[in-house]
Amino acid sequence: MKAVIVGASGYTGGELLRLLLRHPSVEVVQVTSDSMAGKPVGRAHPNLRRATDLVFVPHAARQAADVTFLATPHGESMDAVPGLLASGGIVVDLSADYRLRDPAAYPRYYGREHPHPDLLASAVYGLPELHRDALRTADLIAVPGCIATAATLALHPLARSGLLTDAPVVVDAKSGSSASGREVAVAGSHAERSGVMRAYALTGHRHTAEIEQETGLRIALSCHAVDPVRGVLATCHAPTTRRIETKELWQAYRAAYGPEPFVRIVHESEGLFREPEPKWLAGTNYCEVGFAPDDRLPRVVALGALDNLVKGAAGNAVQSLNVRLGLPEATALDFLGLHPL
Amino acid sequence: MTECPECAASVESHEKILGEVFACPECGTELEVLGTDPFAVQPAPKEAEDWGE
Repeated sequence: MKAVIVGASGYTGGELLRLLLRHPSVEVVQVTSDSMAGKPVGRAHPNLRRATDLVFVPHAARQAADVTFLATPHGESMDAVPGLLASGGIVVDLSADYRLRDPAAYPRYYGREHPHPDLLASAVYGLPELHRDALRTADLIAVPGCIATAATLALHPLARSGLLTDAPVVVDAKSGSSASGREVAVAGSHAERSGVMRAYALTGHRHTAEIEQETGLRIALSCHAVDPVRGVLATCHAPTTRRIETKELWQAYRAAYGPEPFVRIVHESEGLFREPEPKWLAGTNYCEVGFAPDDRLPRVVALGALDNLVKGAAGNAVQSLNVRLGLPEATALDFLGLHPL
Repeated sequence: MTECPECAASVESHEKILGEVFACPECGTELEVLGTDPFAVQPAPKEAEDWGE
C-alpha cells in the first residue's frame, strides 16, 4: 500500500514517517512540506537520517495514493478531504477538521463554519478502543487530539459504568511542549517555555468538545503547559453517586480494556511506579489509565497518560489504519519505550 | 485459582506453598498464601517504618 504524508516536516508528520518506515505493508512514496521542499527528511527529523531517501516536495506536487495522511494545521484538511475521497483512497486526518460530528461545534470551538458538514457523518473517530468496528470500513479517519485521547480513555470505563452523577467532570490536563507543534513562537522559545507550569485554556479548550462527544459526559477541562517535551497526563475528577471501592474500579476498567493491545491499567499498591506516568511512555503507542476512589468524598480520580505524538497522534493514526487494513493492530507499533530516560 | 482481594483479578495457585508471598500480576499487591486446598490469599502484612521492631 502506497502512502503520502502531507505536512511531513512537523512533529506528528515526522512521527508518522518514523513509524511507517518500519511498517511491512505500507510504503511511504511521498512526503510534502512547503517550508522544507527540496530538502531531505533528515533535515527536519534528524532521527530519520539515512533511514530513507525521501525528499520533501511542495504540497502542490502531492500524488494520489492508497492512503493519504494529513498532518496539517487545523483548518487545512477541511477543503482537501473531499477531493482525496473522490480519488478513491483512504484519508487519515490528524487535524481536528473532521473529529466532531456536530457541525455547530466548529464555529464555537474552531472559529469557522465547516464547509463540508455532509462529510462529518462519514468520518470515523480514530480511537480503536471505542470505534474498532466502524474503522474496519472507514475511508475517512479523524485522529483524536492528544488531550482528548488521554481523558477519553481515562473516563470511558466510568462513563459506561453508571457510577457517575450528571455533574461535570473536571479534567486537569498537563501537556509537554511538542504538543504545540514545530512552528517557532515566543511562548515556546526555550527562555519562555523551559521550566514552566503554565496554565492556559482554563475554560473553553477545543478538546472539550471531543471528550464530551466520546464519553457523553459534561466536561470542565483546564490545561497546563509543563516542562517535558513529550507527554500528556489527564487527571479527571469524576463525581460518583456513592462511595466506590477500588475493586469495583478494577472490574470496570478491566471490562472496558481487558484485551486492548495499547491500554494498560495501572494502579499498583507497591513500588515506585504506582500510577500512570507519561515519561515511561515516550515513543510508545501505549496509553496508561489509572484511578483512585476517594474514601471521604463520593468521587473517583481517573488518570490517562500517553505520548502526545504517538498514542496522542501518529501512533493512533497507524493503529487505526491497521484496523482498517485488517492487520494486527500492533504492526509497526511495538516499541516498548525506554527506562531510565 | 482465587481472586485478588484488592483488584478481583484471577490469581493462579500453580505450585505456591503455604505462607508464600507473591505479587498480584494485575495490581502488584503483595499477597500471602493462607491455604493451598482450597487456594486462599490475603494481602501480606506490611512492615512498618521501623521494620517491625
